[in-house]
Amino acid sequence: MSLARILGLLAVLIAVGLLIAAPTMLRSYGVYLLALWSVTTIAALGLNLTLGYAGQISLAQGAFVGIGAYTVALATAAGIPYFVAFLGAGLITFAIGWCLGYPALRVQHHFLAFVTLAFSTLVFLVLRNEQWLTNGIYGINDIARPKVFGLSTNRNPDFYYFALGMLALFAGLQWWMLRSPWGRAFVAIRENPLRAASLGIDVRRYTLMAFAIGSAYGGFAGALYAPLVQFIEPNSFQLTYSLKLLLIVLVGGAGYFIGPFFGAMIEILLPEWLRFTQGYYLLIYATLVVILMAVCPKGLVGAVALIAERRRKPPGRAPGPGGTLDPGGATPGPTGAASASHSR
Amino acid sequence: MVSLSQIAARRGVLGGIVLAGALAVSSLSARAADDTVFIPNVVELSGAGAVSGTNWRDGITLAVEEINAAGGILGKKLNVPHLDTQSDASIARAQVQKVMDDKPYVILGPVFSGSVLVTMALAQQNEIAEIVGGEAAAITQRGNAFVFRTSFGQQFSMPKIANYIRDGLKAKSVAVLWVNNDFGKGGRDNFTKEMQARDIKVVADISTESGQVDFAADVVKLKAANADAVFVYTNEEESARFLKEARKQSLKGALIGETTLLSQKVIELAGEAANGVRGHVGLSSDAPVPALATFAEKFKKRFNYANDHNGIKGYVAVYAIKHVTEKIGKFDSKAFAEALHGMTITPDKTPGILMEATWDKNGDIDRASFLGEVVAGKQKIVEVLPKLNK
Repeated sequence: MSLARILGLLAVLIAVGLLIAAPTMLRSYGVYLLALWSVTTIAALGLNLTLGYAGQISLAQGAFVGIGAYTVALATAAGIPYFVAFLGAGLITFAIGWCLGYPALRVQHHFLAFVTLAFSTLVFLVLRNEQWLTNGIYGINDIARPKVFGLSTNRNPDFYYFALGMLALFAGLQWWMLRSPWGRAFVAIRENPLRAASLGIDVRRYTLMAFAIGSAYGGFAGALYAPLVQFIEPNSFQLTYSLKLLLIVLVGGAGYFIGPFFGAMIEILLPEWLRFTQGYYLLIYATLVVILMAVCPKGLVGAVALIAERRRKPPGRAPGPGGTLDPGGATPGPTGAASASHSR
Repeated sequence: MVSLSQIAARRGVLGGIVLAGALAVSSLSARAADDTVFIPNVVELSGAGAVSGTNWRDGITLAVEEINAAGGILGKKLNVPHLDTQSDASIARAQVQKVMDDKPYVILGPVFSGSVLVTMALAQQNEIAEIVGGEAAAITQRGNAFVFRTSFGQQFSMPKIANYIRDGLKAKSVAVLWVNNDFGKGGRDNFTKEMQARDIKVVADISTESGQVDFAADVVKLKAANADAVFVYTNEEESARFLKEARKQSLKGALIGETTLLSQKVIELAGEAANGVRGHVGLSSDAPVPALATFAEKFKKRFNYANDHNGIKGYVAVYAIKHVTEKIGKFDSKAFAEALHGMTITPDKTPGILMEATWDKNGDIDRASFLGEVVAGKQKIVEVLPKLNK
């Protein structure tokens, strides 16, 4: 094992160790923010799959988080056990995501963005206007936190560990998925659908699948969001939330497995660190994001990969196709994906 | 040559460093010094609630500066940081969670009812009193012994409006235009209930959006309804836009509002179109109460703009804290909440309270209020309504 690899593993272990030890170092609010980070990262992982890997622009991820959150809030209030509701949230969003994937078969790029935008607005209107079901604009309060293996998660550190565990589970699942033929098929469709089809990939099925799995991640994130915040209202899941998730994926680096982890960190923690600037914090935050996107349009992880790539190549030579494989082995830079898709 | 695994490793190293840094920074948080008392203000400073929240904040700032200049409360200076909720309930909750870590004595804000509803459960769990600006009826109906209002709840203000429409205007039909958020919906529900109880017909029930810019279609609908009176219950900016459109289309029927529609901010924004608007006003600097006028002068001098009712609410909240604390003689959050229930504070003992106010067992406030009218770009108080339980 090379030194670099050992160092890398060590860094990951330190990061995981810090995340596990965080509740002993942080106070209640810090732990709450990290729990929110875990939940948001799950939603962003889903969008990264749809957008970063399969190349389908979705402005509806926030709506899926909302559907998941409302499913759990309503179901647990009706006496259904939390984990049944949790699975239900995933299944419902998977099914809706599958149906929403159909327009993606017919329209692409910004047209698809409009379709998902309309869906996002539709979900908001249903959540707000169907008061008999969702309690309308007043939202749902006092959502109970679940018991996990008989242990209460009412305290923030306990819920944080639960959310972190779920993040590990869903991240692991996606890691596995991306290394499977599915992940390669998603990337192939993003890069060149015709070529993918000619290689025997069922474009229709995989497009729908990418949408459905990405949406289900949103649903699961929502199922964690509701007991975390313990209050949900339609406004929380408006288009702005979907745009936030999109920003997380883009800032972190679309198509990079670890992108959403960093994107969510910037989105959730950066405004908090900037609060000492009082009234200017949102302004500074927005400016920093603009600069970041202008300097590295491929996001944080993309920028690091690019630097590594440049150092690898002798000066004067442009990076070749498929040259920016990430540790998952399934996340080539946008130019080299098709070749990577059939490289194994 | 660098291998793929090395690239991966470098990314991992960077990741570890960033993550470690992130965790270290988030663990840093300022603690209040011992010679101060920590009273955080969690309020809407950006987003849809910024107009109300900024007024509320400045009212608080004025009171805090005065009290600190006079030596503080029981010898301790007030430390009142202002935290922005971005008009989002989940951020409001996170901010209240944050201030709980520093053991606040009392929490001020939020102003938006949705944010109040989500944060007051946390305040209750921690047994810290929360003095809020929200008006939704539900706030004080949940048996929470730690939430206190600074203005009338809708269940108190709507009967006053309804009586005025029946007895003052002698209207037989009304139209209601409301903003579809928790504030507007709560007001609309209470208002229509009061109308039904008085046999006044609601001929149009129009929902509008928060942040709506164009009210042309809504005014057309109101014209078609041809009601004797139109009750308008929206936030400040939307109220002003609506009034301009109503004037443009020469909408007939009396325009009636509750506090917001007659507020200084709306009059400023709507200009001439606000003339003729009538309604109930919970708090007003133009009321025939000298203390309110003096407050308005001080506010204008300090912040260079005219306050609205939210400014008065914030100012009064801080003086209520001063009065109660000096009465109980210690900084005890639980004792504070217990003492404020059923307490009446009069301006002769605490001038900063501006008008005599009583808090009942639910945390609802009771004090005199006003019927007003906008005449020549100024709010004019035409009648003083006494306290309800006096």
